[in-house]
Amino acid sequence: MTDTVPENALLWRTLESIPDPEFGINIVDLGLIYSVACNNGDVNVVMTLTTSTCPSGAWIHGGVRAALQELPGVKSVQVDLVFEPAWNTEMLSANARRELGWKDEI
Amino acid sequence: MELALAWLVAAAGMLAVSPGVLALPHIAPQVVALTHAWVLGFFVTVAVGAIYQIAPVALGTTLVNERYGWWHLGLHAVGVPGMVYSFWCSDLKLLGHFGSLVGLGIVLFAINTWRTVRRSQQRGPVAWSIGLAAGWLLLTVLAGLMLAANRFWHFIPLNPIALLRAHAHAGLVGFFVTLLQGVTFQLVPMFTLGDVRDWRLVKTGLWLSQIGLLGLTQALAWDAGYAAAVCGGLIFAGMFASGWALKQALATRKKRRFDPGVLAFLVGATGLNVAAVLGILLVWPTTSWSSAPGGFGAMVYAVVLVVGGLLPTITGMMCKIVPFLTWMRAYGPKVGRMATPSAGALTKPQIEKWAFALQALAVLPLTAGAWLLNTTLLRIGAWILLAGVAVFLGAMLAVLKHLWRPVSVASTATKQSSQS
Repeated sequence: MTDTVPENALLWRTLESIPDPEFGINIVDLGLIYSVACNNGDVNVVMTLTTSTCPSGAWIHGGVRAALQELPGVKSVQVDLVFEPAWNTEMLSANARRELGWKDEI
Repeated sequence: MELALAWLVAAAGMLAVSPGVLALPHIAPQVVALTHAWVLGFFVTVAVGAIYQIAPVALGTTLVNERYGWWHLGLHAVGVPGMVYSFWCSDLKLLGHFGSLVGLGIVLFAINTWRTVRRSQQRGPVAWSIGLAAGWLLLTVLAGLMLAANRFWHFIPLNPIALLRAHAHAGLVGFFVTLLQGVTFQLVPMFTLGDVRDWRLVKTGLWLSQIGLLGLTQALAWDAGYAAAVCGGLIFAGMFASGWALKQALATRKKRRFDPGVLAFLVGATGLNVAAVLGILLVWPTTSWSSAPGGFGAMVYAVVLVVGGLLPTITGMMCKIVPFLTWMRAYGPKVGRMATPSAGALTKPQIEKWAFALQALAVLPLTAGAWLLNTTLLRIGAWILLAGVAVFLGAMLAVLKHLWRPVSVASTATKQSSQS
């Protein structure tokens, strides 16, 4: 671990490396990450799942923590799982829509 | 899942070796044996396995008693082959022993399922369908045991063939259709990123079918033709309502392209509706209720229902569920720690398409062969079906191998790009 605090962009890029198991789209483009903040190496993520009964929810939640924990300069990671506001398909990014087969409706 | 796949191959193999069985009366011991190999061996094994895995997740709880589940698996694994053998050899005493083992397993399954549903405190159509389906399965198995006992002691003063029809519908429609009318609305929106728009319509579909089923089993047992047709109509109305609710949910989907599995599921659901219409026509009093083979009869109806309806519905869902469960076991713990493939990347869509195409192709010669009592057509259909099953097995094994040999994401990505 170093004293350098990771930039926010790096945190988002790291989260983009985690795919949703069903669709293969990364969880950022899927709209599951509501916010990422880093305060002197203490990272706080607010995220959701497509549904509260998502079978892979525990793995994604744990994966977010594990991926960020690995970054240099990160001291602690707190991942808050929230369902308010509830995830909806409007939260998909343009990239995600394209990957899901939407062409002209973006 | 492996046990279910073994049964699928065994059941398709039995038909390929003895295709002439479909030209026999539907009460012939070999027909009953073959039916139980398909239904109890493959469909029920895969469905109860899926319930153990998916119901707790869908209901937001955990399975009440995992040990009951393992006992059920053991009893089922021993009991069903014994039942199929006993039917084939017409050994009623042996059938009673093995049937009791299966029955005991189903009792454990039903108790486990009901307690899990109760603990979840969810009372929506998904929860109801799981609980009701477990009830219908239990009723079917207990009724089956009573039918076997009735062959010895003749304590039920009703036509045994009529009772057999009631037993078959309690299982085929009561268990499978009930289950599909609920869990479909949990799984399909999840796999297509859609929303269920009208839960009241889903509930209406489920309850219409339940009312119809209660009446149908009674009407069939008492040989009441018009009542059976009316109750069949209620079931069809319920299935139609569920289908309409599914159509609405699919209209909201964000994943535009259908996977082969979802497509096969939809084809199967259509096949089940066609079978429902055939069933109503079949019980209409002016139609011959004879158990003789040939013509528009029980065997034609059964082929459409099982091979044209249930098979693509269940195998289609397997193409979605098996990769997901495999991913959870093989790659879930690695998320965030290393690059992981998606569940979809574990599948072979082209192989799945071939499997479903062959299975669908088999329906025509099998139906025509059963109608015309043509052994050549039956043989052609049975071998096409076996080929479809073999290809499907290959697709499933390609997914399951990830449990033992997980791949790196780089190689998966390469495979995906080469497939597309």
